[in-house]
Parts: sequence; C-alpha cells; structure tokens
Amino acid sequence: MPGKKLETLAGVIDAKMNRQLKLYLDICARCAICRDACHQYVTTQDVRYLPAYRAELIRRIYKKYFTKTGQFVPSLYEGRDPDENLLEELYDVMYACTGCRRCMYYCPYSIDTTWIQSVGKAMLLAAGKGSEMLTQLADAAIDKGKNIDLYKDIMRDVLKTAEKEMQDKVGDKEAHFPYDKEGANVLYAALAGTHSILPAAIIFHMAKEDWTLSMFEAANYGYFLGDAAKAKEIAGRIIDEAKKLKVKEVVVSECGHAHRVFKFFYEMWAKEKLPFKVSSILDKVSEYITDGRISVDPGKIDIPVTYHDPCQVGRNYGLFEEPRAVVKEICSDFREMTPNRAKNWCCGGGGGLVAEPALEEFRKTTGKLKVDQIRDTGAKMVVSPCENCRLQLDTLNEHYKMDIEITSMIDLVVRALKT
Amino acid sequence: MADEMKVDMELDLKGLLCPLPMVRVSQNITNVPVGGILKAVATDPGSLADIPSWARSTGHEIVKQEQEGTDFIFYIKRLK
Repeated sequence: MPGKKLETLAGVIDAKMNRQLKLYLDICARCAICRDACHQYVTTQDVRYLPAYRAELIRRIYKKYFTKTGQFVPSLYEGRDPDENLLEELYDVMYACTGCRRCMYYCPYSIDTTWIQSVGKAMLLAAGKGSEMLTQLADAAIDKGKNIDLYKDIMRDVLKTAEKEMQDKVGDKEAHFPYDKEGANVLYAALAGTHSILPAAIIFHMAKEDWTLSMFEAANYGYFLGDAAKAKEIAGRIIDEAKKLKVKEVVVSECGHAHRVFKFFYEMWAKEKLPFKVSSILDKVSEYITDGRISVDPGKIDIPVTYHDPCQVGRNYGLFEEPRAVVKEICSDFREMTPNRAKNWCCGGGGGLVAEPALEEFRKTTGKLKVDQIRDTGAKMVVSPCENCRLQLDTLNEHYKMDIEITSMIDLVVRALKT
Repeated sequence: MADEMKVDMELDLKGLLCPLPMVRVSQNITNVPVGGILKAVATDPGSLADIPSWARSTGHEIVKQEQEGTDFIFYIKRLK
C-alpha cells in the first residue's frame, strides 16, 4: 500500500480525535478485565474478540502516527501501519462486535471500545472496505427516503388489514391509523412491517393519544455501518417529517439502536437542537400505565416469564426498572436472569450482526451464554423490547431447541390490555 | 406476464421480518445469471418499499411486482 494512502487512513484517527478518544487510546492498562466481560471472547476464547485487543488494533496505528516514541521506534512500541493485513483484521473484529458496551461497564477506566471501533469502521470506509451488506441496507433506506411518494399509497393500502385488526381489538370501527397529521403530539417511528405498528396503534388508541404514523422505519443500518453521514441522512427522514408536521414528540419503536440514534447521536451529527422530545415506546407505555391512561390485567400471563435487557435499552440508555414493572404487572411468575440490568449478557445479535449472513454461525456460538441464562430461569417466555434481540433470540431458540416464546413489550401489553 | 417469464431462482421469504427479506435477496441475486430473474415471495409489508429501494440503489430492476393474498411477489432482474 503506498505511503500516502497509509497516511490518509491514519488521518482518520486525527479527524475523529477528541479528548475522549485520546484518553481511551492512552490509558489502557492491559489488565484484561474485559476478557471476562465480552460474551464473544468468553464463548470463543479467540483473542481477536478481546475488547482490549480490538482497541489495540487502532491504538497501534495511533502509536505509530501520533506519539513521538511510536514515530521514532515503532517496533518497540508496537506501532503499525493501517496496511491491508491490518484492515482485514479490523473488518473481522469491528463488524463482528455487537456494540453492547459490557466491556466498558467492567473496564476500570471505562474505556468505550465501541467508540474506538467507530474509528476503525471509519478507516475501513475510507479504504472502501466497509460492510457490503450494511452499505446496501443503508443505501436502500436512503433511496426509500428520496422516493417515499412511490410507496405511501401502497403502504397505507396494505396497512388496512392491520387497521381492521385494531378496530376489532378496540371495538371501534372508526379507529384508524393517522397519517401526516400536522400538530399531533406524537410521531411514531415504527419498524418495517405491521408487527411494530399494530400493537402500538392499539396502545395509542386506548391511551387516547394524539398521534400520527411515520412512513419511515426507525432502524438505521448507517449507524451499524459506522457511516455517520448515512446514519444522519436515514434518521433525518423522520426528523424532517417531525419538523414538517410540527409534532411535540417522536416516539421510537422497540429498536434499541434506533432510539439511541435519535436520542443521543442525531443532534451531535447535525449540530442542531431538535425542536421536539424523543422517547422510546417503552417510556410511553410506562407513562400511560402510571398515569392510568391504559390499564392491564394483573397476572394475565401465568407461565414463567423472564426479561432480557437489550444492551441499547438497558446498559446504554438506562431503562431497567420501568419495563420490568410492566412485565411484573402482567406476568405472575416473573423470573430474573442472572446477571441482569447493567451486567446483563448481550444476546449476540446487536450491532447489525443479524443482517450479516456470514456471521450467523458466530451469532449462534456467541449467544450460548444468553441461552444458558434463559434456561437457568426455567422461563417459557422471554420479553425483549428490541427487534435485533428478538431476531437473535429466534435464531437461538431454533438452534438450541429452547422451546420458548419470544415477545415484544408492546405485544405483551396488548395481550393484557383492558379494552 | 409472470407466467411467461423465465424464473431462474425462487426465494421463499415468508415470515421473515426486516431486514431479512432484503438480506436474502441480496445474498441470492448473484445466484442467477446477469439478465436472469430472481423471484422472491415475502409476507412482510415492509418489503413492499424495501426490496424496490434495494433494487434501485444496487442497480437491479424489479420487472414485475404482484400480490396474492398476503404474499408479496417480486420478480427481480439481475442487471450486473
């Protein structure tokens, strides 16, 4: 690889450098506590998946190009060029990480490996070596945004079946899915498909919420790809819609990463303060129950039930007790996994891994800790408010013959909803 | 007419949720020859926008799209 190109790739670190990144790159003590924190390392014992090693790949480039000792005696300080070999290794480990940040929780310095990995993904993209599948999914979402008028009528027509189901459930033939409603309190950003629209619509209807349905799915493969520009454009479809409709709040479906994109990242990428509140549908369900706007049958579900904390909802957003309170209200035999809450094991499906066919076997292997956790509870049902987690749990359920039911929070609530 | 169209490969995507219908189509498009047709049958309504968007952004063509009950059927021509 020509020296100029190597310098350009190393320059990605410089472009993304801030105090936080510099700290992470300077202070790793190599204590390897992260070894026991990462489900991928624990289940594979492959050093490439050790969080400290993942970060070390970037740290070595940093040492060679950005520290005096590394510049003068790179071999002594393990300085490396971002050459083809290193890029290949970066690809294998960066796009295999679920971004669960359990390593950060256990790290004595709270080094955020996913933050360092975002540099690695940016470097891969600069070299034209980003994930092809994630690129295709991100580009398709952007294309959909540009051509939404082609699909609006088709989507609304197809959703009429779900609308009818809602009418039957709530006993109101006048109940409809509201579209393009200017001045609504809530713009609901669902996922593609009716499974995340119908239960939410029933809940909004019963709560007498003034809401409108976004035509765009909340999921953001640009974020998983590590391409902030694409991620901003994908999220921007819903942001622009919310601004145009002048809604007071954007409520994001049960999709952990999508919610974090709207809640934590978009303002940073766009350098603007959003003129509306961003919430998760979990926040709203909890609020509706607390405020008495909807009510559920206590103990409606009597089989053993456990709750899986999605990493992006729990550890990375801080929502632990509210969803548990809802599950405990509905399910008379609630059983906690061990460990749980901030220490919960990742299911192995986040970070866009469920969209990478090449990683399917890896997901099955690295999801084994979650399988054991669930089995230890004896639960017959797992509630998990994240689409990626549910897709992964479906895979694990089938592969390990777990014979469990996997459900979303809003489906559970609708099942117990008093109408 | 679909029944006059030579289909090189058929994909059953029924029951799969986003992004899997798109992922499976992307995975399999190279299994048909350039100019060939991949027929994909999905039930996820999200695929109605997702698969055409994927085709346009990756340079392939939806030559026919139809619905039979709850099945959404796409005939995708591999262009490159």
